Amino acid sequence: MYRKVAALSLVAGLGLSLTACSTKSDDSGTTADGKVTITVDCQPNAAQKELLDNWNADVTEFQKQNPDITIKSISVGQQCNNPPDFTARLAGGTTADVFYGYMTDLQQVLDSGQALDVTPYANKDNVPTWDSIDPALTSVFTDAGKIYAVPVKNYSMGLVYNKTLFAKAGLDANNPPKTWAEVRDAAKKIAATGDGVSGYSEYSAGNTGGWHFTSLLYSQGGTILSEDGKKAAFNGPEGKQVLQNLKDMRYGDNSMGARQLLQWGDLLTNAAAGKVGMFVGAPDTTQAIVSQFQGKYEDWAMAPLPGQDGPAKGTLGGGEGYFFKKDLTPEQVKAGLKWIAYQKLTPGKGQFDYARAKPQNYPVGLPQPLLFANGSEAQKQELELRKANANIDTANFQLFEATPVPIKGEPRDAQAIYAVLDSAMSGVLTDPKANVDTLLKTAEDKVNQLLAAGS
Amino acid sequence: MTRTLISSTQLKRSRVRYWTLLAVVVTVFTLVFIGPLYWMVTGALKSAQEVAQTPPTLFPRDPDLSNYTAAWEQLNLAKLLFNTFYYAAGAVVFQLIFDTAAAYALSKLRPAFGNVVLGAMLATLMIPAMVLIVPQYQTVISLPVIDVSLLDSPFAIWLPMVANAFNIFLLKRFFDSIPEELMQAAFVDGASPLRTLWSIILPMSRPILGVVSIFAVTAVWKDFLWPLLVMPHPETRTVSVGIYTFAGGIPQNVVIAASVIAALPTVIIFLIFQRNIMSGLTSGSLKG
Amino acid sequence: MVTIAPAAPVQAGAAAPGNTGRQSRIKRNLSGYAFLIGAIACFALFMWYPMIRGFVMSFQRTRRGETTWVGWDNYIRILDDPSFWIAWKNTFYFTGLALVVGFVVPFFVALLLNEFRHAKGYLRVLVYLPVMLPPASALYLFKYYAYDPSEAGLFNAVLKSLNLPTSEWMQSPAMTIPAMVLASTWMNMGGAVLIYLASLQNIPGELYEAAELDGAGLWKRIWHVTIPQTRLILALLAMMQIVATMQLFVEPLILANGAGTQDSATSVAYLIYQHGFFQNDLNGAAALGVIMLGVLAVFSGFYLRLTTRNES
Repeated sequence: MYRKVAALSLVAGLGLSLTACSTKSDDSGTTADGKVTITVDCQPNAAQKELLDNWNADVTEFQKQNPDITIKSISVGQQCNNPPDFTARLAGGTTADVFYGYMTDLQQVLDSGQALDVTPYANKDNVPTWDSIDPALTSVFTDAGKIYAVPVKNYSMGLVYNKTLFAKAGLDANNPPKTWAEVRDAAKKIAATGDGVSGYSEYSAGNTGGWHFTSLLYSQGGTILSEDGKKAAFNGPEGKQVLQNLKDMRYGDNSMGARQLLQWGDLLTNAAAGKVGMFVGAPDTTQAIVSQFQGKYEDWAMAPLPGQDGPAKGTLGGGEGYFFKKDLTPEQVKAGLKWIAYQKLTPGKGQFDYARAKPQNYPVGLPQPLLFANGSEAQKQELELRKANANIDTANFQLFEATPVPIKGEPRDAQAIYAVLDSAMSGVLTDPKANVDTLLKTAEDKVNQLLAAGS
Repeated sequence: MTRTLISSTQLKRSRVRYWTLLAVVVTVFTLVFIGPLYWMVTGALKSAQEVAQTPPTLFPRDPDLSNYTAAWEQLNLAKLLFNTFYYAAGAVVFQLIFDTAAAYALSKLRPAFGNVVLGAMLATLMIPAMVLIVPQYQTVISLPVIDVSLLDSPFAIWLPMVANAFNIFLLKRFFDSIPEELMQAAFVDGASPLRTLWSIILPMSRPILGVVSIFAVTAVWKDFLWPLLVMPHPETRTVSVGIYTFAGGIPQNVVIAASVIAALPTVIIFLIFQRNIMSGLTSGSLKG
Repeated sequence: MVTIAPAAPVQAGAAAPGNTGRQSRIKRNLSGYAFLIGAIACFALFMWYPMIRGFVMSFQRTRRGETTWVGWDNYIRILDDPSFWIAWKNTFYFTGLALVVGFVVPFFVALLLNEFRHAKGYLRVLVYLPVMLPPASALYLFKYYAYDPSEAGLFNAVLKSLNLPTSEWMQSPAMTIPAMVLASTWMNMGGAVLIYLASLQNIPGELYEAAELDGAGLWKRIWHVTIPQTRLILALLAMMQIVATMQLFVEPLILANGAGTQDSATSVAYLIYQHGFFQNDLNGAAALGVIMLGVLAVFSGFYLRLTTRNES
């Protein structure tokens, strides 16, 4: 009898002991014979078939060139740092060895204590093009003089518009709106073509509303936070103008469509279906429209962000990079940097392998990702390759590229602030009686509270 | 047939009204409960343009399976469904073993302080899950003392499922109703507690074990926030969480197609076993 | 093998004094706890310990791996959040409306089903079918098709064909909560209907007969027989439903992308999620959890007093 009791308690204890085995990570990364294994996330997912094939081909080629390094790719889903998962991975220490993050994620990553200071390794030896990288970008990933991530993408926003709908509405596609007043006029004409088309479309959910509010605010010359970053600064004439413009289009002209509370994919789904005349976005939104939402390149062109009375006073820029997990060996860090250098920062390779991308359903010629400093060697090479292999009509992006607008970065605590500003955006887009002043005041209170809490 | 609110004689007298009412109710219920499902299945067969069309079409103009195939491939639904099944099956096993054992001990072996233990377990019924979500999450990230992380491990779903006071209560009540004489007879024959449980109690408890299993499967299938938090890796996600994390970046019709596929297994299982499930749920949960 | 005295496993603490008695008692306790250990370990790890930990966390603050005691700071911060009161208002509104709709509708549905002599099985399956859907499936159906604010949406198309005014559903602040209640009731009412049905079947038919002989009409019979006979189960279900609906989370997350328009969907549970997993503020989230527990405790206290007073 006692044997059975013992057996049972064994079974009971088994559950716990099993877990202990199952969660122990399988490899320490570096083996005795100098082989290094690293995990890298943000592998394209199956919805982006060609990007995924390219990535896998890059891994194979890279491993051939570096027989000592093994890259294990991890796909983390649609958005590479979907906030709750990203937070969970950081908190639980289950990030990949080399993990993806937005420029705005630095503080959160540092708070979690998961990131490694890579300053000693971030140089020409590991990343040949290091000195060509725009210093403004590396500085975003620097805290107290220490570099924590390598930038791999950088963008700025402009006005993306559908040329086919412009033509249908009798507008000149080569002369897109330059001010918000002109946007409003054009939106009205496009919406008048009927068939459920909205002239201008805007986000108001899932933090994307706040993200775009920020961009629109920059175009007016406003800022989200005060100089010292301690107070909200968007509740001023510029912020009010942003919301007023949207309100006028939504309810004055009814040119923004009935469906609101859109987030990233919603707007692009509509755009790909030919139901959106204009929206604010980065050049690669056209790529998403085509490769993920079955739209057509020929339809789309891009202009600089409009301003209130003339050119925009600023536009939102942002970007992405790769962080390194805190317990990596120096060999692993070097391997990770080499991989990033190969896949993300070498003209002619990886994301810059334009010859490969040309025949694919993937745009070459977009004025992106703006990683290299003006006049640097790498930038020249990249531009030449881009021109030589362009598979889209670069003229469609000519206006955007030729008329640079001053780029401003995202505020600190960006995602939390965007969540608050979503409700100002959704307010003005779904409530005809919404009061712009009240909406901004509420958002201001909330952001101030949030900033006070975070410090 | 026992007498209900309205007597059979009265029903016979107003035959026409009864049949009219029945017809109306059957129609309305079919529309209300099947209608949306029909809309969902056929909607995913339409193109994005057709879905956005006013007025909507009742039948897809040219039914096209491409949304379904896209959903299956892009979301890796096979893997997501497998994960969910795996978690559900494990949850059933863990609950059946540990909760049955616990209920048996509390009902039949009655060790010292058994009532205190039962009380402490039942007290957790009063605590809403949301209140504990943060500290539970912290616990899973790093288990006390041994400092092991259960993140992305199926045990992060299975073990908390065992801590289910409601199931233990149901099982205990059922075991309480099994006559003591049977137990005593077994003990006189020299059977160990484990043997008694296995060969006397469990065979008599099939209905309640069925109910507990159904609860476990449904709970895993319907849980959302917990797996969203503790299974952050795409390879370990459940089907609900998988659809949610992809929903922002794929066309709406593909999301709906994925939702249909995700719903199919449980709906089919339900339709096949509905008689057993229904009777188990109603009788088991109440009289048990 | 030792034969255990027949009475031993039955009556705890009643074993006869003496060596064999003590021995068997020890054995019984040992084997009893051997059977209990798995469940106790899981409760300790995932229920009892987190309860204490949540309470402790709510008075701490963790930044860059360092934890400090901060007194009531987290609570003050949470109470200062303008969303806090909105979230409670929304949560109470949802709970109240869900109680009226999700509690009363299933009762009458069960009452109706119980009277039918035909198609009962079919109707029961229908009502329970949505319960089997994963919540994400059902909610995306509502979000993309049923609640589409344009006239291409299912509900709007139906309303329009009946010449009724259409709605913007989730986009209209006034409709957000009712729309969430509707979706939630559709998804979840099957369980309640089944439980009501079972309890209705337990009502002795003689009671109805007696009431009928006394000349009681249909409504009087419901009021004087059905409701008193099912009172206990009604009270229990109401309590369970309130606790469940107070934790409103998936509906706002999926249907309203979280906060909805102008915070019209923000719930307390969603606020916990926001603080914990978006704002990098697990301590604030823990404090919010403690507040939620307090509110529910006060509420349950009132509820218990109310129901027990009625009984006496």
